[in-house]
Amino acid sequence: MVPISFYLILAAVMFSIGAIGVVVRRSAIVVFMCIELMLNAVNLTFVAFSKLTGNLDGQVGVFFVMVVAAAEAAVGLAIIISVFRQTKSIETTEVAELKF
Amino acid sequence: MIVLFSIMALIVVVSALGVVLNRNPVYGALCLVANLLTVAGFFAMLDAHFLAAVQIIVYAGAIMVLFLFVIMLLNFKVEPRKGKGYAIEIFTWASGFVFAAVVARVFWGALRGFRGGQAEIMAAGAPGGIEGSVKAIGKLLYTDYLFPFEASSVLLIAAIVGALMLAKRKGTSQDTLAPSKPVR
Repeated sequence: MVPISFYLILAAVMFSIGAIGVVVRRSAIVVFMCIELMLNAVNLTFVAFSKLTGNLDGQVGVFFVMVVAAAEAAVGLAIIISVFRQTKSIETTEVAELKF
Repeated sequence: MIVLFSIMALIVVVSALGVVLNRNPVYGALCLVANLLTVAGFFAMLDAHFLAAVQIIVYAGAIMVLFLFVIMLLNFKVEPRKGKGYAIEIFTWASGFVFAAVVARVFWGALRGFRGGQAEIMAAGAPGGIEGSVKAIGKLLYTDYLFPFEASSVLLIAAIVGALMLAKRKGTSQDTLAPSKPVR
């Protein structure tokens, strides 16, 4: 039987790798993928705690996190497309000013 | 069981590092798909069967396809290597490692002191187990969590309309396929 804390440690490692990716990478689409990685780490933590406490509310929380992640991915990718059309680049260092 | 867990954990960590370190965004997206599928396997191991299926259908099957479409539509190039100044990268990797180590140590220590020393609960989960089937989650969704459920449908409509309006090509009639006025 796998101790539940192993799942929590794995989720923490996944979350920190995602956080490192958000800071280090310059391409906006890779930053988005690292955000999805962080959301998945949180989902894994929720489900592990749901198994630990026997309460199913954690899994319903994961359901809603997935809904919000899908909505955010759609809108965020639309923003990336729209910014790319204007500036022809998605490096986060080049889109640093509010006016084009 | 622990062998299976460690193989899947290795796949998760390696694919997460693949997402962060790959300079080609298509390779990064495919590494993320591998990560999501393995996390779905973890959900199944934790008796969250409905969530494992939803993870594969929604996350790996819809969101990642959307990512790949955008990458291929906009034809993102391979990111060039940064020429100078790796101070930010070194500091971020070091502090991320410290953060992960601290959190892992906290969770490792929690194995011993949980609920007055009942370490076997931390190992096996709640006595009696949980039932993560469609029926059980559906019962919760439609009774206790009805308002968030309906509100999320409003959220999805807002996201659809927002994404359409943001990505719509706002051009003059010269760059559409059919002219808006009849040509004489």
